[in-house]
Amino acid sequence: MLKIEDLHAEIDGKPILKGLTLSVNAGEVHAIMGPNGAGKSTLGYVLGGRPGYEVTEGSVTFDGQDLLELEPHERAAAGVFLGFQYPVEIPGVSNVQFLRESLNAQRAGRGEKPLSGAEFLKLARSQADALGLDQEMLKRPVNVGFSGGEKKRNEMVQMGIIDPKFAILDETDSGLDIDALRIVGDGINRIMRQPTKAVLLITHYQRLLDYVKPDFVHVLADGRITRSGGAELAHQLEREGYAEIAA
Amino acid sequence: MSDAVLDLPSTREEAWRWADLGGLAAAAALAPIAAPEADFLDLPGAKLLFLDGKLDEARSDLHRVTLIELGGDEHALGRRATGTGWSLRLDAQAVTHPVQIVHVATGRENHLPSEIVLADDAAAEIVETFVGAGWQNRFTRTQLGKGARLMRSVRLLQPAGFVSLREAAQVGEAASLITVFLGAGGQGSRIDAQLTMAGEGAFVEYGGALLTSAEQKQECAVRVNHAQPNGASRQVWRAVAADRSAVSLAAAVEVARHAQKTDGEQSLRGLLLDRTATVNLKPELEIFADDVKCAHGATVGELDQRALFYMQSRGIPRTRAQAILTRAFVADALERIGDETVRKGFEADADAWLDAAL
Ligand SMILES: Nc1ncnc2c1ncn2[C@@H]1O[C@H](COP(=O)(O)OP(=O)(O)OP(=O)(O)O)[C@@H](O)[C@H]1O
Ligand SMILES: [Mg+2]
Repeated sequence: MLKIEDLHAEIDGKPILKGLTLSVNAGEVHAIMGPNGAGKSTLGYVLGGRPGYEVTEGSVTFDGQDLLELEPHERAAAGVFLGFQYPVEIPGVSNVQFLRESLNAQRAGRGEKPLSGAEFLKLARSQADALGLDQEMLKRPVNVGFSGGEKKRNEMVQMGIIDPKFAILDETDSGLDIDALRIVGDGINRIMRQPTKAVLLITHYQRLLDYVKPDFVHVLADGRITRSGGAELAHQLEREGYAEIAA
Repeated sequence: MSDAVLDLPSTREEAWRWADLGGLAAAAALAPIAAPEADFLDLPGAKLLFLDGKLDEARSDLHRVTLIELGGDEHALGRRATGTGWSLRLDAQAVTHPVQIVHVATGRENHLPSEIVLADDAAAEIVETFVGAGWQNRFTRTQLGKGARLMRSVRLLQPAGFVSLREAAQVGEAASLITVFLGAGGQGSRIDAQLTMAGEGAFVEYGGALLTSAEQKQECAVRVNHAQPNGASRQVWRAVAADRSAVSLAAAVEVARHAQKTDGEQSLRGLLLDRTATVNLKPELEIFADDVKCAHGATVGELDQRALFYMQSRGIPRTRAQAILTRAFVADALERIGDETVRKGFEADADAWLDAAL
């Protein structure tokens, strides 16, 4: 589904990704772990197409098409979802409006009919319920005044509504309390654990991986994948730290 | 064409510092065009259509509005607007359907006076629309009796030319004046207002959204004078400037020595859609009383790039994301329009402007 080859990327002329290679097939969950500043979020932004993140070498194909050619909104319509480490606040735009615009823009991009207001509200309510996000928060401006954990739940509500094919989830577990962690973990499994879908799960901790069992675990250090293994690698990392294993 | 021909103050005078006198002169010299479609909203009540400043009787329905001889004021713009104009006078406790006025210009210049006089506890709603080309100059005198309420919405939708509005209002005890402007055409503009809170506990909201593109210039110059205690005034203005255009917002609050417990708020915010555009902000406070609450905020910024990418990453194309954020930016200024039909109409005009500008 996703094929990253020898990816080099820089921000303001500073190289961050330095030859990253990774393949993700349908039906798989890949966890990415690694020290602060290694380039994990940068990888997510490069895959999402954030302006200022310049690819200098390498390629990324998604379902056989050149992902790097596409505008950010076209990548979304193609099925890529980026769950942000720091979800952005948008004053003056309600969550409902934002989500409805998002979904209908993607549907339009795929040549599908827009959902009516009533159809959309029904979908939004059911997703909010499933992730334990208060209905009232759908009416509030996007992420404004949300707690850290509420922002992350809101990201998952968005993912549930958009129903993407491939999700990059950047530290979706940080800021969640113990109950929320389980709810969000269940949500990721429900929305994404399907034979036609795949997930890149960026995390620092084993605890999310207790709920969302990864098929592969990779260590990203200094802009490249330095080690890959199965679920047991995460346990080993938690015990021994990056210094021992990633070097 | 020089300022002297139009006999207007010079931009060396502080109150006229940002005025686009050249644009005004050019508008007055615009060659005639065919009259554009007049656009009334679907509302009951009076409908007046002025063609180049003259009432088009066949297309108007005056209800309680009358045409009478009126004078201007001593102001450079106001003094030109004399002669036959429209008048809405309501007796105590009277309430009318909305009054709609469409000003159509086909070029050159036209000047029109008007008055809105509401006796105690009367209530009225007025919607004005400017279309066409040329220079349209208006003087509006408003007088609100005790407890009277006026909701006025004014939209400037001329593709070209200039609209100047000179406004003078006296707001009586516990009376309420709400005025919302939307500048969403291609014309230049100057909204020049002197509002006096003449009675105790008066309430004034005066503001709007001015949207400019290309080489356009729009501005407001508003003074609210708290002459009596316990008054509250809010001036909420939003400026959006694209290309090489400029918006200037000058809003002043004066509080007289005995006007204690005054609550005055000014919120002036500008959004630059291009680095080549300009927004000038000038909030001013002159306070002579000691027990007052006056807040003012003045900021100019650009669209939040992080929010734009966040929206794009969810599938929203960049220009649509820019439009959503810009609309959210002006929403504060338009949401004060009480009548839903009018508010929706104004919002649609703002949307149309965004579709064209982005
Ligand atoms: N706008 C920027 N300009 C310059 N350097 C940047 C910029 N953004 C990120 N970086 C740098 O890029 C490197 C990688 O950052 P990134 O956010 O991808 O790390 P990360 O692996 O996600 O770290 P964390 O675990 O702390 O979230 C860091 O050294 C960071 O300082
Ligand atoms: Mg990160």
